[in-house]
Amino acid sequence: MQAFEYAHPRSMTEALPLLGSRWGETEILAGGTDLLSLMKNYVVTPKRVVNIKGLRELRGIRGTPEGIYIGALVTLEELRTSQPMHEYPALAQAAAGVTSPQIRNMGTVGGDLCQRPRCWYFRSGFGLLARDESGRSLVPQGENRYHAILGNDGPAYFVNPSSLAPALIALGAKARLDGQNGERYVALAEFFVIPKSDAERENVLQPNEILTHVIIPEGAWELSSATYEVRQKEALDWPLATAAVALKMQAGKVASARIVLGHVAPIPWPAPEAEKSLAGQPINEATAARAGEAAVQGAKPLSGNRYKVQLARVAVKRALLAAARPRSIGAKGGV
Amino acid sequence: MPDRVNKAEITCTVNGETLSLKAYPMARLLDVLRQELRLTGTKEGCGEGECGACSVWIDGEIANSCLVPVLQVAGSEIKTIEGIATGEQLHAVQEAFISCGGAQCGICTPGMVMAAVNLLERTPHPSETEIRMGLAGNLCRCTGYMKIFEAVVRACQATGVKA
Amino acid sequence: MKKHLIGRPVPRKEGRAKVTGQARYVDDLVFPGMLYGATVRSRVPRGRIKGISFGEGIPWHEFTIVTAKDIPGENYVALIAHDQPYLADGAVNHSEEPVVLLAHPEKYLLEEARRAVQLEIEALRPTFTIEDSLNKKEIIWGEDNLFKSYSVEKGNVDEVWARADFIVEGEYRTGAQEQLYIETNGMIAVAIPEKGVTVWGSMQCPYYVHKALMALFGLPADKVRVIQSETGGGFGGKEEYPSMIAGHAALLAWKSGKPVKIIYDRAEDMAATTKRHPSRTRHRTAVSKDGKLLGMEIDFVIDGGAYTTLSPVVLSRGTIHAPGPYFCPNVRIRSRAVATNAPPHGAFRGFGAPQSIFALERHLNRVARAIGLTPEEFRRRNFIQPGQTTATGQVIRENVNMNHLLERALVLSDYHAKTARFARENSGQRRKKGMGFASFMHGAGFTGSGEQYLASVVELEATPQGRVRVLAASTEIGQGTNTIFSQIAADALGLDYDSIEILKPDTASVPNSGPTVASRTCMVVGKLVEAAALGLQQTLVGSGYLPEGYTPAGFERACKRYIESHGPLKSSSQYQPPPGIHWDDATYYGDAYGTYAWAVYVAEVTVDTVTFEIEVNDFVAVQEVGKVIHPVLAAGQIEGGVAQAIGYALYENVVWNEGRMFNSQMTNYIMPTAVDVPPIRVFFEELPYSYGPAGAKGLGELPMDGAAPAIVNAIENATGVSIHHIPVMPESLMEALAVTEKAVERA
Repeated sequence: MQAFEYAHPRSMTEALPLLGSRWGETEILAGGTDLLSLMKNYVVTPKRVVNIKGLRELRGIRGTPEGIYIGALVTLEELRTSQPMHEYPALAQAAAGVTSPQIRNMGTVGGDLCQRPRCWYFRSGFGLLARDESGRSLVPQGENRYHAILGNDGPAYFVNPSSLAPALIALGAKARLDGQNGERYVALAEFFVIPKSDAERENVLQPNEILTHVIIPEGAWELSSATYEVRQKEALDWPLATAAVALKMQAGKVASARIVLGHVAPIPWPAPEAEKSLAGQPINEATAARAGEAAVQGAKPLSGNRYKVQLARVAVKRALLAAARPRSIGAKGGV
Repeated sequence: MPDRVNKAEITCTVNGETLSLKAYPMARLLDVLRQELRLTGTKEGCGEGECGACSVWIDGEIANSCLVPVLQVAGSEIKTIEGIATGEQLHAVQEAFISCGGAQCGICTPGMVMAAVNLLERTPHPSETEIRMGLAGNLCRCTGYMKIFEAVVRACQATGVKA
Repeated sequence: MKKHLIGRPVPRKEGRAKVTGQARYVDDLVFPGMLYGATVRSRVPRGRIKGISFGEGIPWHEFTIVTAKDIPGENYVALIAHDQPYLADGAVNHSEEPVVLLAHPEKYLLEEARRAVQLEIEALRPTFTIEDSLNKKEIIWGEDNLFKSYSVEKGNVDEVWARADFIVEGEYRTGAQEQLYIETNGMIAVAIPEKGVTVWGSMQCPYYVHKALMALFGLPADKVRVIQSETGGGFGGKEEYPSMIAGHAALLAWKSGKPVKIIYDRAEDMAATTKRHPSRTRHRTAVSKDGKLLGMEIDFVIDGGAYTTLSPVVLSRGTIHAPGPYFCPNVRIRSRAVATNAPPHGAFRGFGAPQSIFALERHLNRVARAIGLTPEEFRRRNFIQPGQTTATGQVIRENVNMNHLLERALVLSDYHAKTARFARENSGQRRKKGMGFASFMHGAGFTGSGEQYLASVVELEATPQGRVRVLAASTEIGQGTNTIFSQIAADALGLDYDSIEILKPDTASVPNSGPTVASRTCMVVGKLVEAAALGLQQTLVGSGYLPEGYTPAGFERACKRYIESHGPLKSSSQYQPPPGIHWDDATYYGDAYGTYAWAVYVAEVTVDTVTFEIEVNDFVAVQEVGKVIHPVLAAGQIEGGVAQAIGYALYENVVWNEGRMFNSQMTNYIMPTAVDVPPIRVFFEELPYSYGPAGAKGLGELPMDGAAPAIVNAIENATGVSIHHIPVMPESLMEALAVTEKAVERA
């Protein structure tokens, strides 16, 4: 990998001035599970790497009147095992879906949300949008079996790789972004964006900001939630499709629902039609199947990923059925 | 150019010994262990955190040393495969790997042993599922894992495993 | 004197070194003043090299740079043909083909430099598929794109079609597969023009590397020395390509005058080195109404990639195994290895047989269905029996009983009860369960006259302390060479396990016992160890120093006295074919192998017909392998091979992008983990083979052959859909299940 300058600030005050004003100059290092591979393969070539592992204020999970604050440095293993998270099965299940103990110990919440796409073209140096010399994307006619089936009108066809984002969005979480001019809060649903050029990123974070916390709003513990992942292989692989759901139930009927798909679109993909289809309904095979159907209504599969439409539909159905069952935690939420 | 980058100095503990190291910022913990400290028991299989051959413990937690810039472990306690046996006395997991056929080509073995010992320190009597999940971050291409599972079971039956 | 070690699970010879991390692999070795080497490769699959330029910002004067013009001897990797260059000179024929070598003391700078070398290559139209190669769309190799073809004829196939009650046809395909040893390839070379070349590295076949370096440098045998370091898995992947890397390291060392280490990183290893040959097999089968095979016509094609390498012998094994363990009076096999502009495909456990056996064992299920028999009943009626002949006219002399193996496997897997239960319970379920099996055999040792050409030699040497050293070029690559050789030698001599030492393979000190491939190490080389041990004993007995019924202490005294009066105490043994073995290379007729291992494997699977997830829930492997020398190592071989074959069947998909492996990382080429493998239950039948050590046969490759078709047969049993290619990816299962995106999940 290319040489870089290494900074290890001890506080946010020290850290923020170290960040660059343009993407590409500086990269933030936390767990390292994604960044080191990207650097090794020259996909990113920062001049400075800022290790934020020393920032104590980014650690820990704590309850506040507004909700649960999860520090960006909380590891996936902490998320999976910590007591407060048992109130949010969708999130604990999503963390458990990262099956390697090593990666769960190293990988952080902030890193999971900010990790770069797994798109083979991107990882092989074709750029975020995988375009050829004439500016056309190589994906629609190329190797696209793991690419987007939703939100794929272009120019981006990769899928968002985050394990936690669908669950966090379903739970209504927001992100706290800190910059030199102070902090701002962004609903996680608004955090991810579809880039329009290779120079843009997959989220609204500015190059000189740090994602410091994720906040699950007070009251979310009342929701019945679950995450369901469809995989080819049980460990050391990313899911092919994920659905996270969070339901507010009243007298056995859905008062409100949030449904978010993962690994099917360049951003975690909300499914408002599916949510609407559940209003006032109980969760059963029929209503869950209908919601799954509604979730993929707009899907436009590419040449090689038609199967993912089916997987996404099923993931929604199974996540709903799991959420409606008594709480349990495991790689597949006991499904 | 790399040689224009200054080496930084860090202090950490490796297998119980406190060391002061000079390393390039881009050096991975794996490289420093293998090249500077000549602790070559820790292996590189993929360099991407997929195979677990480079597994070490950092402050008691199993981690892939190929993904850790060495400067990040300043002040940490590192344990490698070289620190698992007590002198000539092998750890029960190592004994069991030999007697059950858990090691074939041996290249995944140090990482696998680090993961297995770590698992048993947390869960002294794991179920089969817990064994599988505990080793899910370590790939082995020789054994099909059966003999490794047997070794873990035998190691927890043996005396001398810390509970 | 007692024999007590064979058949017992003695501790692995180098086990302690491996579990403590003390075993030294090539990347663990460091030489003073050592440089690191890197390879600049073509990104173009086929073209003419127009220029090489060295970009700015790199202190090129600090680098050692080697191109084809620096080669002192012949620019080819000596193996079967002489078509593969060490460094492309003028033309490139596959992407990842080596063009320029670089060396520098600083690894990080080396990678910067590698990226700064630009190859200007004028692209020519490449060929990527078996069909395009066969159709000669472009001639990319020789006159017809064919590395090799064979034809096997038995009886008269042409006349069976008219009298057949059923004729069943099918086409089957298998993909490339990466060996994925966890230790990547690597070599260290020291080369001094006046002194010669020495290399240390990860390898299966020291004398292959030795032969290749002699040609590359134009040096005599005694000026080239090859030493195996501890080797972290091979599976065939370190049979041929180490010759390439050793040559590259040695060329850089030759030019720089310094030791040079080349260690491939994972992506380079996966993309550039050999993988299993992709294949296409077509079957046309004639069957009588009572379920007897009348005729088989088999067309077997493998994609060899850009150069010949080992394709002719891979093709040979695949061809001979194509009709399986069945008797058929009329057989025609036509087989071809074709050229494409992919990196050369090569040796991988099974060596052609997993491809043709996948096709056969899928096809026979189709035949059984067509004639209305169960898969097991159809096979029962056709298993080859002692006294019958194979397609190459080999008379089966052993007491083979495939029916018994089948029965045992079906009982152990509870096949009948489970198939009946699953058939009842699957209806209306989205998760469907199924059982499938495959019956097969694997020839041990080199094909045909191969072992006679090799004429392998093993030596034993005794010390005055009564210790015995085994000198052989057969490598320990995890499969247990050191351990079983010690058991065999110790038992032959009546000594303790610890009295035997295995010398590290080093061409300066061990004789050529042949390559460590083809399930030959135990059966062929082990037999030589046994014979040399008996020779040593005879020498001592003949000299009068060794009394009958001696003890280890008596052996030690005898060695001491012998060496004092006669000098070194050595014994050597050279391969002799078993009596009555005949093979004709010209007609491809005769005894293809000295013997075979026989097996029936049963898989139980669950298929989620909605998410296309496939789990293997149970696996039973029953095999007859002759005497089992070491039950734990033997079972370990079977379990590991089955796990690799599960990957072959379900996960391991090499995706090609313009002739390059697109998913050349462990993050996107996925193999089975601890969470993915089922219980693998291994059972041995032992019919001692007269010409193996203590009756042992070869077994290392066997498990690779049968697991994939057993799994795909089980998928068919569960779902009713027939899949003709592996790996079975979710999207191909979806197509097979004909699930449209409109389909609604059923409870």
